[in-house]
Amino acid sequence: MRNNHSPAKPGEYKLIELLAVAGAREIRDGEVVFAGTGLPMLAVTLAQKTTAPRASIIYEAGSMDGRPVHLPSSVGDARCEYRASVSSGLLDVFSQLQRGVVDLAFLGGAEIDRYGNVNTTSIGGDYFHPAVRLTGSGGNPDINSLARRTVFIMVQEKRRFKEQVDYVTSPGWRVKKWPGGEWVTRQEAFGSVFRGGPVAVITSMAVFRFDEETGEMYLDTVHPGVTIEDVKNNVGFDLDVSRCRGETPPPTYHELYLLRNVIDPEGLFLGN
Amino acid sequence: MAKGKRMTIQEAVQLINDGDMITFSGFTIWRRPMAIVYEMVRQRKKNLHLIEVNSGTHGEILIGAGCVKVLETCWIGHELYGKVGANAARKLKSGELIVEDYSHVHMIMRFAAGAMGVPYLPTRASLGTDILNPEYDALGKHGLRDGSNPRIPRRKFEFLTDSFYGEQGDIIHVPAARPNVCIAHVQQVGEEGTVRVYGQRYSDAEAMKAADRVIVVAEEIVPEEVIRQDPTANLIPHYLVDAIVEQPWGAHPTGCFGYYEVDGMFIRDFYNKTRTQEGFDAWAEEWILKVNSFDEYLYKIGFRRLDMLRANSSYKYSTRVKRGA
Repeated sequence: MRNNHSPAKPGEYKLIELLAVAGAREIRDGEVVFAGTGLPMLAVTLAQKTTAPRASIIYEAGSMDGRPVHLPSSVGDARCEYRASVSSGLLDVFSQLQRGVVDLAFLGGAEIDRYGNVNTTSIGGDYFHPAVRLTGSGGNPDINSLARRTVFIMVQEKRRFKEQVDYVTSPGWRVKKWPGGEWVTRQEAFGSVFRGGPVAVITSMAVFRFDEETGEMYLDTVHPGVTIEDVKNNVGFDLDVSRCRGETPPPTYHELYLLRNVIDPEGLFLGN
Repeated sequence: MAKGKRMTIQEAVQLINDGDMITFSGFTIWRRPMAIVYEMVRQRKKNLHLIEVNSGTHGEILIGAGCVKVLETCWIGHELYGKVGANAARKLKSGELIVEDYSHVHMIMRFAAGAMGVPYLPTRASLGTDILNPEYDALGKHGLRDGSNPRIPRRKFEFLTDSFYGEQGDIIHVPAARPNVCIAHVQQVGEEGTVRVYGQRYSDAEAMKAADRVIVVAEEIVPEEVIRQDPTANLIPHYLVDAIVEQPWGAHPTGCFGYYEVDGMFIRDFYNKTRTQEGFDAWAEEWILKVNSFDEYLYKIGFRRLDMLRANSSYKYSTRVKRGA
């Protein structure tokens, strides 16, 4: 199985493994990637061991291009900085981000709208008395707004894919320009600091991308075993499915070997 | 030899006043000054205003115990071991806690401004988000931006454009963070207060330099002459430090690079208990109020568990702790 690059069959891999592989395929060799905790760590580590060996990873707690031999559990973890190029702190790595060195951001979210605006702050009720209060933004909007491309990894549910999110924590392709709050394009709001934006949303059912003209989300691929109808039933807005290219490529046996035996043998994120 | 700064945990906590604006060393569940936090609960500190780049388990303990009135931060949770700050969420909904949301870059720039002694700094991070929505100014909504508290700025953000290079798009100014006290947990401190941090330094330098008073708890207090043999490895000069306390394992259950691992099982159990106020109260009774000192707490944790968390001297983290499912 070790050197087998043929695709695994449904039932031979877990959803989280498919997501890690789909994430890894978004990374180009040589890029500087700014990644969050969890699935993004699996994706970037897998990419470094396969298609993007010269990709460098920045974690927001302050490590640059670490070469962990054990999977970190969070970005503050001592494992992140094992054989790192530099280990410092937040002001350093976030300033580099603002300076424009980051190519790709890997982030999560609780809710998303058709323009890729993401919410990780609060859901339901009003902002001061929410039904559900989440963690808050963390570095999500900073990384997303200052990198060239952003990939979000999320759970697919109708209540999470909304016409409008309850709170815009992280900016998509149409955003509010403050202090007035009028909706404008991302380009207009960001001006000279516009570098790009969300390019993909990888979910438990599908991969979505964004129209370059309108900034609207469309269906790119469905995961093996999922139908276009299934996806439409789990999106709360009118989704463009006309450009669907078919199935998300499944993991290869080699990728599964790496994920299970080299990258996360402890089952930290993959489970058992 | 200057012994004046050295004190016990109890004495150090007496330097913190009710109503103080407080910040901390560390990052989420790493290198938080837990020994001090537990003692703050025992001494029943009140009306604290926490201002942090990000919060975590320590913040949840203080908030659950009713010590906190305001939380300004970008994040609160327990990473892999608890997905939200349940105490903060509950007390926000009930109106007992005011939460002011900023982004990570906003907060680090606020601390950088505080450390540099300027009233604000510019950034271009997180444009187009509801973090900038003027209606979501929590301190303003509660009438706390009237200028009566010199540590609370009159506005949450300021919007302007670049007149130096003519760059397009908004620039925002974020106000300096000006806490009364920074409470730090570090690996080593000299007898006079020179601070050394190993591993990622997070936002420790900015947090300590922005605060008026600095309390440092260290895994070990070492001879000042030894820590000065390699001054480039040191982070904070002694004259910025007001109090030093030696407390091995003092960041448990958070992790400490080179010394010990995050105690994920302990934090997960804590998080599960915080789903209700009664659950938190029972946890606090067992682990804080019925325990008279941090040494007694460590005894309750037990040698075997602590030994599993102890860092490997080459890797700087534990290779024996069970982390996965």
